[in-house]
Amino acid sequence: MLSVPTTCPFCACGCGFFLLARDGDLVGVAPGESHPVSAGKMCARGWNAHEASLWGDRVLQPMVRRDGDLKAESWDLALDYVASRMRSLIAEGKRVGVLGSARATNEENYLAGRLARAGLQTNHVDFCHHSLCRPLMAGVEDVTGESAHAIRLTDIEASDTIVLAEGDLARTHPRAAASVLKALGRGARLIVIGYARTQMARLASCFVQTAPGSEGNAINGLLAAVLGTEEGYDSLRRELKAVSPSDEIRVAAGWIAAAERAVFLIGPSGGRADRLRSDAASLATLAASTGHLGRPGRGLLLLLGRSNVRGACDMGVAPDRLPGYQRIDDGEARQRMQQLWGTPVPPGQGLDAQRMLESVSGLIVVADDPAAVLPMGRRARAALKRMEFLVVLDAFVTPAVKAAHAALPIASLPETEGTFTNMEGRVQRVRAASAPPGEAMDGWKVLAELCARFGAGGGWSSATEVLGEIGEAAPRYSRMVPQVLDDGWGSSLLEEPEWASIALRTSPTEALTSPERPYVLARDGASDWGSDPLVSFSPTLNREYQSERKLFPNGLVEMSADDADALGVRQGWRVKVSSAHGGAVVPIRLRKDLQRGVLLAPYAFRDWFAEVLGEDGAAAVNVERA
Amino acid sequence: MKMQPHVLTIRKRDATKWLAKLLESRDVIAPALGPCGEVLFSKVDSPEQVLWDFENPLPPPKQFVLPQTDPIVRIQQDNHRTEVAPIYDDRQRVLFNVRPCDARGIAFLTQMHEMEPADASYLRRAEKLTVISLACNTPCRLGFCVCSDSGPFLSAGHDIQLTDLGEKYLAEIGTAKGEGAVSDAAGLFDAATEDEVVRRKELEAEARGHFGEETCHFASAMRRVSTRRVADALWERMSDWCLECGACNFICPTCYCFSVKDRGCNGTWTRCRTWDSCQYAAFTLEASGHNPRAQPGERMRRRFFHKVSAQYYVRDGATGCVGCGRCIKVCLGTTDMPAVVAAIRKGAWHGQ
Repeated sequence: MLSVPTTCPFCACGCGFFLLARDGDLVGVAPGESHPVSAGKMCARGWNAHEASLWGDRVLQPMVRRDGDLKAESWDLALDYVASRMRSLIAEGKRVGVLGSARATNEENYLAGRLARAGLQTNHVDFCHHSLCRPLMAGVEDVTGESAHAIRLTDIEASDTIVLAEGDLARTHPRAAASVLKALGRGARLIVIGYARTQMARLASCFVQTAPGSEGNAINGLLAAVLGTEEGYDSLRRELKAVSPSDEIRVAAGWIAAAERAVFLIGPSGGRADRLRSDAASLATLAASTGHLGRPGRGLLLLLGRSNVRGACDMGVAPDRLPGYQRIDDGEARQRMQQLWGTPVPPGQGLDAQRMLESVSGLIVVADDPAAVLPMGRRARAALKRMEFLVVLDAFVTPAVKAAHAALPIASLPETEGTFTNMEGRVQRVRAASAPPGEAMDGWKVLAELCARFGAGGGWSSATEVLGEIGEAAPRYSRMVPQVLDDGWGSSLLEEPEWASIALRTSPTEALTSPERPYVLARDGASDWGSDPLVSFSPTLNREYQSERKLFPNGLVEMSADDADALGVRQGWRVKVSSAHGGAVVPIRLRKDLQRGVLLAPYAFRDWFAEVLGEDGAAAVNVERA
Repeated sequence: MKMQPHVLTIRKRDATKWLAKLLESRDVIAPALGPCGEVLFSKVDSPEQVLWDFENPLPPPKQFVLPQTDPIVRIQQDNHRTEVAPIYDDRQRVLFNVRPCDARGIAFLTQMHEMEPADASYLRRAEKLTVISLACNTPCRLGFCVCSDSGPFLSAGHDIQLTDLGEKYLAEIGTAKGEGAVSDAAGLFDAATEDEVVRRKELEAEARGHFGEETCHFASAMRRVSTRRVADALWERMSDWCLECGACNFICPTCYCFSVKDRGCNGTWTRCRTWDSCQYAAFTLEASGHNPRAQPGERMRRRFFHKVSAQYYVRDGATGCVGCGRCIKVCLGTTDMPAVVAAIRKGAWHGQ
């Protein structure tokens, strides 16, 4: 039995474990006691991380669409075909772009960025998960001037006060939830702000239940109570003039103000992007104004959704940033990259993932299925179908692969080498425990081949060599390269940036509802594991998701039993939900943890509410029995 | 195949020669230094890799008798015919230097798979497996095997039990398989003297006096669990401290619940047994969407009923716990065996 230390491919906590293989086949997973993040603990996803590679519907050879069907092709011909089609689109003056991925390694993301900027000469480069966490990162940057900084999970464990603005931490980030439990066991106080009485909320010392999209009111309440009559902070106080904190919030604010070590956690939720941004800014301001920002062991942690969201951002897979968060409009930064890459770097901000889908003619997608990730859901599927030329690199046959004009098979994570960067900013090794099936190749190799065909470098002989170049492009990475290359877990923390200044800010949030539309409907959560190939192809992990889809083929909306009683409906009955944008008729499922006036559209079922919610994550609605 | 136990000794320097002999005819699986400096049960290539002074590896040796993904049947389908053939693993294996808790764990798994209907796939592998355990002169920090009669020394159920006597190892031969593992190297062993047998008893008594921070009073918990005197509200409260990772099941030397899933396409499939966890909501989820144990507290109650109820104790002759303490290390929440057993006894979790 071979035991290979690697990094978990699911959420951004970045646990480590041993992949077990026998006679070249994966057989399971074993915990590693010495891993700096997980220390022998894993969640259900981690314990079953080997399954998708075994049971997944795998892309086995390069395929090119001819006469309407995907047909097998040799690697050389398929890559040449991709290059010539993309080149002719560019020559015709049409837009092309590249999507990296939160489930791809740093090396793959870095090369995807280099392929776009140095090869295709475009800044249309982004990744789908970015759209969910970018508002949070922007909110923190509004306050601190830096988008990438974080505390460690061990800081949560050692804290005495935890403020959690959550979706459902125990489900989204079980390892971070474990840290919260550990702190609670030691007597820490937990303040939870959210719309559902989740597991974490039930354990909280103070649970502030808000309407979806109104979390900001609770954060502002804490802020107003903390500022109280202290001197200074006049502009903040002006913003908070209309906020009158409840007694409960005043007590909780007292805990934060008196805390020795307080930590503040916020993750993407279904709210509107502008509200998420202001919530994150308010939370950062709360942390800063109580002296918990910028000191070791305290501060703010963004609960990023997918394993390598942070890494993809660090690699500059964003329409406005180069590797290391250098701004694309910074001429000197572009000059530096030009020196490293040997080609000019185009100026001007590119399009984000959604806009790219809506407007480019040629798209290269690295290890992602945009329709499964983006809030726009099935509209993304339609957009992919409309592409003149779509290239998808993936290990699994996803709907995006089925829509592609060229499908290039790459190794799945237990079969490839590289690094991930977790939400703490810890760069960690991903290692292969078995060989990829068929003709699949390492993703970084396929991207290197494409780079070479566009005159954007090439000739890297290993993922390690690509990491070395990443060290040159994103200087914070250079210092940790030797540690990452050790023969153990290969885990190393990036240095925290120095902050120039802190600009405290907050903004009032208005209520969504009106007398005509007294309910709030919100997308619940910011991701759907059930349509992620790593879960959907795992026979142990996919059961609940498959069952839910079978039971609710016509969508579903969740509400409290009190609301259902008032409407005269029961579980499974249909209601008509209508907003200013439009309406939908869907069956209901009752939830015990919701308060009256709140309806939730689970992320997996968001397509049913495309007409109701429009571009927003939350809207005021009216509900009637259908 | 019970036999009259007989007791031998082997000099420490000869143990390497014995291992070399075993390696000639069998796979030897033993605690060895693995990647990241961790001690893991691994198939060794040379006697020098086998560790004698080590903390018990976190993953138990269960993977070698009941792999997480285990191909059990091959299915082939032509136009009109379907062929179904069982897959057996007939490798001869020795599990060397496992601790008494793990030897008990494997004996327990074998007992479960022998129950009708007997599990041929498991039993074929177990028949070819010889378990050579190393008694614990010093109990480990989190172990509480003394509470479940699974250590620090075994009195029955081992093929061979070794005890470190200083210059020599005492080898208590418990079964014909154990006999087979020494007979190839008979020249290396001597009959144990009476003094040596007495010394082993003294070491066991000393070890029993040195248990660490964890204890687990099964008897009083068993009375409450078996008579349903644990309030539903307590299970519910405890389940808020469980993150449903399934680690307690997967790491447990005695857990064996599984699911079955076919792999393959184009007329050839491999039916695989895969580990499953009674703490996963989907474990009991029915096709209709109904789940008889929909709430985490109900699932936790079920787990501890199976582990510590008198009903199962009577059937199996043991609690479903060997006291290895691994669940304390891997529990993502805080609901490991000693913590829950203590809460059952007290009727309260965190004082409530």
